[in-house]
Amino acid sequence: MTFPVERIRNFSIIAHIDHGKSTLADRILEFTGALSDREKQAQFLDNMELERERGITIKAQSVRLEYRADDGILYELNLIDTPGHVDFNYEVSRSLAACEGALLVVDASQGVEAQTLANVYLALENNLEIIPVFNKIDLPGADIDRVRREVEEVIGLDCSEAIPASAKEGIGMKEILEAVVKRVPPPKTAGADAPLRALLVDSWYDAYRGAMALIRVVDGTIRPGTKIKMLATRAEYEVTELGVFAPFARAIPELGPGEAGFFAAAIRTVRDCKVGDTITELRRQATERLPGFREVKPMVFCGIFPTEPSEYPNLREALEKLQLNDSALTWEPETSEALGFGFRCGFLGMLHMEIVQERLEREYDLDLITTAPSVVYHVYQNDGTMLPVENPSRLPDPVKIDHIEEPFFKVSIHVPSAYVGAVLKLCEERRGSQRAIQYASQDRVIIVYDLPLGEVLFDFFDRLKSATKGYASMDYELAGYQTNPLVRVDMLINGEKVDALSAIVHREKAQYVGRGLADKLRGIVPRQQYEVAIQAAIGGKIIARETVRALRKDVTAKCYGGDISRKRKLLEKQKEGKRRMKAVGSVEIPQEAFHAILKIE
Amino acid sequence: MLTSVYVHFPWCLKKCPYCDFNSYGTARQDVPHAAYADAVLRELEFRSETLAERTLVSVFFGGGTPSLWDPEQLGRVLSAVTSAFGTVSPSLEVTVECNPTSLDRARAAALREAGVNRLSVGVQSLDETRLRFLGRLHDAPLALEALRAARAELPRVSADFMFGMPGQKAPDFVSELERVLETGVDHVSAYALTVESGTQFGELHRKGRLPLATDDDYAETFLAARRCLASHGMRHYEVSNHARPGEEARHNLHYWRGGDYLGLGAGAVGCLADPATLGASRWRSESHPAHYLERSGTKAVQAWTEALSPEDRVREALMLGLRTLEGVSLSRVAQQTGVTLTRGREQALARRTARGEVLLDGDVLRVLPEHWLALDAIVTDLF
Repeated sequence: MTFPVERIRNFSIIAHIDHGKSTLADRILEFTGALSDREKQAQFLDNMELERERGITIKAQSVRLEYRADDGILYELNLIDTPGHVDFNYEVSRSLAACEGALLVVDASQGVEAQTLANVYLALENNLEIIPVFNKIDLPGADIDRVRREVEEVIGLDCSEAIPASAKEGIGMKEILEAVVKRVPPPKTAGADAPLRALLVDSWYDAYRGAMALIRVVDGTIRPGTKIKMLATRAEYEVTELGVFAPFARAIPELGPGEAGFFAAAIRTVRDCKVGDTITELRRQATERLPGFREVKPMVFCGIFPTEPSEYPNLREALEKLQLNDSALTWEPETSEALGFGFRCGFLGMLHMEIVQERLEREYDLDLITTAPSVVYHVYQNDGTMLPVENPSRLPDPVKIDHIEEPFFKVSIHVPSAYVGAVLKLCEERRGSQRAIQYASQDRVIIVYDLPLGEVLFDFFDRLKSATKGYASMDYELAGYQTNPLVRVDMLINGEKVDALSAIVHREKAQYVGRGLADKLRGIVPRQQYEVAIQAAIGGKIIARETVRALRKDVTAKCYGGDISRKRKLLEKQKEGKRRMKAVGSVEIPQEAFHAILKIE
Repeated sequence: MLTSVYVHFPWCLKKCPYCDFNSYGTARQDVPHAAYADAVLRELEFRSETLAERTLVSVFFGGGTPSLWDPEQLGRVLSAVTSAFGTVSPSLEVTVECNPTSLDRARAAALREAGVNRLSVGVQSLDETRLRFLGRLHDAPLALEALRAARAELPRVSADFMFGMPGQKAPDFVSELERVLETGVDHVSAYALTVESGTQFGELHRKGRLPLATDDDYAETFLAARRCLASHGMRHYEVSNHARPGEEARHNLHYWRGGDYLGLGAGAVGCLADPATLGASRWRSESHPAHYLERSGTKAVQAWTEALSPEDRVREALMLGLRTLEGVSLSRVAQQTGVTLTRGREQALARRTARGEVLLDGDVLRVLPEHWLALDAIVTDLF
């Protein structure tokens, strides 16, 4: 018998990074007795080492809790975690779609941030009941009235019943849980006997069971042995295991309407589990899909190459393994004249890219050269065909190109009013076009710009942070393609074109980028035994030249018995440094060089 | 097993601002001559059982300024060292590092009588401005006089020079060398000034307040020194050393060939191969004289140890051997470490050979002297 739907509450927590989501989740787990002291592990829901280090959640999880409320009734609460970064916007929206309510956690000393707001809008689109929680009230800088005003003005959310809390101190936990029970509506359903419809919220790879799917049942019931069909992929499986996290994984006989849990069904890869897909019963198929499904497409691309060519098979294996657990990661073999054999990899966004690169280096112990990120350009050729180009060196001959389109982002930036000028200047420099400037409150402004994604990739966020002393927060979403006059800038080292250093830029910026890149590279390419010439070229015409002078003295003066170990270690360290370099011709180029374009002032 | 002994004497009249050796400025009368000799002898005694099977090829008294040491005490240590070994090479080389401020004819004679047969004199420069820049206590005439005194009493004398001081051009250094050669020395060490952290110069450098020669001046001076000394019959037999054939420092050649050496004295380093593993163990004793005096003769005097793998030793063989004109003997490396040096290094060797930097000539791998200025890059490539 399934748990009565009217006693189920599904909710998630919306919060900006650092506003205390993970701590709050832990306290809720403790308060409901789901996590004993012995099992306590700080920030239980973030289970990957990397996530914990960066304080961000990449993979969503859900936890089933039991809570006996003040009305004496035992409720089943499902806390469904959401990924915490804009790169995972679509995944966030699916996690929220699995809920009826959300706790909006706002740091009482900081106020609303752009990312919070973006997720609140997602929650409102999904008709979630939002319960504002003002966290960190124990901090001296906490100002509940100010935050209340801000939430009311910016989001238009009634905060008269906002809950003051301190997850760190365990203040407000009971009030939060009571509010979840009273204010979050129970799930709507066509009933436990209706044809099965379940939302695929997330998936991950288990070495023994294959891909595992986290689902939220909307109608019907799922059990081990149920033959299922995924409506988007049309794939069919038989459920072999069904379970919930409470918070540790536990097998259960069935999941009924409104409930969240996971199943295994001998699914080969996570790519067969598309987030947002609708799962139904094979025998009694639901006709209507759950709304909101979207194919996830990578937005940002870069080349990843091993510094040692012999590491290529290991890199491939590592990418294969990562992909088991990361359906958004794409890759295909790529050959660069400069860097040899490697892979062109696609990512959801910059953070996703950084995470993958870091995991490759850390978990798989690979020494990598990664190229600067690129977006997908739509290159319309004279013969009328459109060629998607995600690697600048693959841009066709200019005479064959009719026009090029580049992707744009709609970027929303929240900033204290004092920094409006700095933000506008930055956006204009990055070829943005203004959509709106809104005063969220007296001293907080929301600036909305359409910006070329290519410009956003290039250090935009760091620049934004430094221009606003760290006060700005940003959210973005794709806003289509636009035609622009784009050209490729090539870099030559000792007369040899280094394909991995090529960049596609706006024609008006090309001179500037070429000169800047040559100048940056002069500072990055270490002095070597021979003089190194660095040139920038557009369509074969040299537009800038810099020279790295030869290193004339590279020899240790003294090396005797007392100092041999230290000198050996110094040289070993130098060797290690060179391992991170790629020899292009006879010139050693450090990894940094391939990202120099991100650093042009 | 051929073995060298290094004896460290940790005191100077004044610590030089560039010096990162284990040395302490002290007044002449405060040096504990006999107590320090006793401590060194205790350490020798502690190590003695490993020495009976070995052949002593050289002893080097370094510092600090060992010419400050009472020659009688130094002699006591030297004779104990020679008698601790099972065999002593008939061509035993015994060198003492000297500073012009503590070397006159009488001192040189006393050292000779104590058994010393080679002196290495810290001239550093014959230019008064540069001597001041280097914080030296002597002037040029005193340095030349010390060299003449040494030459009068001992057959083998080396002059230590430094270059790379601000404003110093190649011809300046060459004229200093010409002057020193008039004293008849048969060995010259010419060290490029190296800024080490933890020294006064290091601190100034960190603050951007230490003027230095440009790289081009360094390189030109290095090459000019070779030309000048070669024209006087000296061979550039190691990056910083020049000698008439046969007058090379055997003690240092022993280091560069990866030989075993025993260190005695405060902060001295020793390194003995382990025939069982083909690795080696290296250790350093307590650096501070007071601690050394207290702990010498016990295991506690050992302040640092390092176990070297055969591969570590191969890298050291490259780092050291390629500094020399004679190069690295592949068969010797194989015998010392069991490792075939060329294996796994084929690509780097091919690359460097193709550029004409490295020459593999039968058993010997060498970096040609015209590429010594790029030696670190070449060696790390081969690491």
